[in-house]
Amino acid sequence: MSRKAISNARGPASGSTTSAALPGLSSDDMCPVCKTIRYLNKDMEFLIHPDCYHFMCSNCVNRIFNDGPNQCPYAGCHRTLRRKGFRSPFFGDLTVEREVDIRRRVAAVFNQHEEDFKTLRDYNNYLQMVEDLTFELVSGTEAQRRSAEAQLQHWEAEHKADIERNRKAGREADEASHRRIAAEREAARQRRIDAIKEAEEEKLERARTREAELDTLASAPEGQRAGGVQLKRRVQVNRAVEAAAAANTGSGVPGAGAQPPIITKLSIQGLKEKRKPPAPEGPYDPFGGMDFVPSRYKLHDGLVHPDVDKYRFDWAHATGGYSFDDYTARAMFEAFAGLGVFIEDEKEVGIGLSASEVAAMSAGIAAVGDKMELD
Amino acid sequence: MAASPFAVDALKQSAHAIGNGNNSSSSSTQRPLGAGPATLDLVEQMNEDEKKKYVKGKKLGEGTYANVYLGHARHDPSLLVAIKKIKVQKEYRDGMAPDAVRELTHLQELRHPNIISLLSAFSSKDQNLNLVLEFLPLGDLEMLIRDVDRVRYGAGDIKAWMGMLTRAVWFCHDNYVLHRDIKPNNLLIAADGEVKLADFGLARGFADPGQRMTANVITRWYRPPELLYGARHYSGAVDVWSVGTVFAELIIRTPYLPGDSDLDMVRLICRAIGTPTEDNWPGVTSLKEYTAAGDVHPVADKATYMNRFGSVGPEGVDLLMRTLILDPRKRITAREMLEHKWWRTDPRPTRKEDLPRKSGGGGEEKVAADLKRRPGVVDDDGKAKVARKLDFGGAIGGSK
Repeated sequence: MSRKAISNARGPASGSTTSAALPGLSSDDMCPVCKTIRYLNKDMEFLIHPDCYHFMCSNCVNRIFNDGPNQCPYAGCHRTLRRKGFRSPFFGDLTVEREVDIRRRVAAVFNQHEEDFKTLRDYNNYLQMVEDLTFELVSGTEAQRRSAEAQLQHWEAEHKADIERNRKAGREADEASHRRIAAEREAARQRRIDAIKEAEEEKLERARTREAELDTLASAPEGQRAGGVQLKRRVQVNRAVEAAAAANTGSGVPGAGAQPPIITKLSIQGLKEKRKPPAPEGPYDPFGGMDFVPSRYKLHDGLVHPDVDKYRFDWAHATGGYSFDDYTARAMFEAFAGLGVFIEDEKEVGIGLSASEVAAMSAGIAAVGDKMELD
Repeated sequence: MAASPFAVDALKQSAHAIGNGNNSSSSSTQRPLGAGPATLDLVEQMNEDEKKKYVKGKKLGEGTYANVYLGHARHDPSLLVAIKKIKVQKEYRDGMAPDAVRELTHLQELRHPNIISLLSAFSSKDQNLNLVLEFLPLGDLEMLIRDVDRVRYGAGDIKAWMGMLTRAVWFCHDNYVLHRDIKPNNLLIAADGEVKLADFGLARGFADPGQRMTANVITRWYRPPELLYGARHYSGAVDVWSVGTVFAELIIRTPYLPGDSDLDMVRLICRAIGTPTEDNWPGVTSLKEYTAAGDVHPVADKATYMNRFGSVGPEGVDLLMRTLILDPRKRITAREMLEHKWWRTDPRPTRKEDLPRKSGGGGEEKVAADLKRRPGVVDDDGKAKVARKLDFGGAIGGSK
């Protein structure tokens, strides 16, 4: 946050273009508007406005802009500024400040991710395009700047929804990574606590063992045997410690597993994934957009034919659920099937059908009669 | 010639030959008299052309009925296909097996996003029939239903799957085809999550009045009461019952009516849904195989269903009850199912990309297993395979 005094070229910037060399900012210097120097005003703070990046002290800002919008006091700068827009610059070099602002703004608009592109090449082309645009905005000529600005605004207006969605996604990803980092930190803290606890327990255990050894030594009649006992005990204790350690690591594993795994997005989702259009979903259509209402004839209820009617009151047909409506519908369908279909035409035009499909259709039409013989 | 080399035409001719009783030869042995032995006749040439379009890859599975291979189109190696090579069967040595004929005749005419598409068919050496089907790598619905530990799904997912299944059945019925073997095994899942109805080995067109159909279809657990009672004249209602049992299975994640014999099936239906009587199904007692096991159970009311299937909401339960109405005349049709309110109530069906799928593979093998299976049976490890004949006597003897 320290403002380093890099600069020199002070005084009113010439011309209104912000791409011209901007005045440097120095903390112990003079306000170019009221000529107050830091010696007189210890708390002097310089502010800039991101429209023209001309700096002045906060007193001047208050004085000039408190009563509403006013012109920039720099000679030759005719921008109308408002009090609200002033802020203290982050960088000492105002050229850098301006470039950072522009980049931030461009990045907010062009916030596509690599996953959004079909191939890496497309993504790289996009990055190149964005960089060109940014460069023109930062250090292009007046005309370039204007056209780049127009492009940017056009894009922003056009892709508002996309930008908003990406922004949201970005924020979510940020939050997720924050959470992950917090979880990791918490896990590390837990591990540290566990380690301390373990060390303490070990110390206690060692003290206990020692005590026990001393006891056995005290109660043992011979030194030789005592040595054996000591050895045995040590082995036992070591084993117990090992078992405990194993149990610890065992219980540690699910804890580590609970952390969200770090997803390496690049390798999986990246390149081939095609971007799905947002596709506004209509109401669910159970029929999947199909309908088979016959177009060439109309089905009436109660079509009668003597050959059919003798079965109509047959119990075997009725109880089994045989549907005479289906039969009449099918009879009509078969009578009209193939009308208006000209295979030659379809072969030439190829209305979404391959030749084999056309052939299959013709075979199907021809086969209507045969079908019944088979079963 | 390259314009329409769909070898199905050729195969259909041979199928036709069987139908006419002219069964001593199949198409590729019928050579026109004029053609010399060295040159291929037109049909053979078409068959060769079709065969050359696909490259057969590794074997995905082998069964008694068919072998399944992974393959791809010759012009585009990324276009994967499953090639189902139907074995020459002993019983049908003189022609094609009826399963294959059924599958071929109906699949080639039905084109719908929820029905497996038949891309091509050709015969290879030894007169083996090869069906080129689209490759569906993500296994079947049964796999998802059974994997209770690793696969979780909710009401929205069930609705999405049911929507796709019902659309497929509706499409078949509106094109006058009965599928007659709907079960979770036969609902394969495409790479994008779309459920596709497969295995048309028992399918047939709607029958004319007076024409008898066999009652011996549909895997037993999904078989409706009219077929269990031996009805020979039925309609799309049989498929709707199967859809209903699949719906119930999706909710409770275990087969709803897992009868181990036809008699046991009747008993389960009586207990779970209600005993068919003259009151709720006029004329039922006149059906050939009618039996009512034990006491008469009243038809289950909505509260009973709500207890078990409440997770899909009252509308969903209403739809389920309508698909499981005993009397096939009163049962809801596939079209009416799609018009039901349930599809429009919350939750909205999950988008197919977001549907749960089983991770960790196994899909390929499962698909291969589904495709090579003989139609109309479930794989029941240990237990005897589901009989294809009604056998009440044996069932009584076995269960007592």
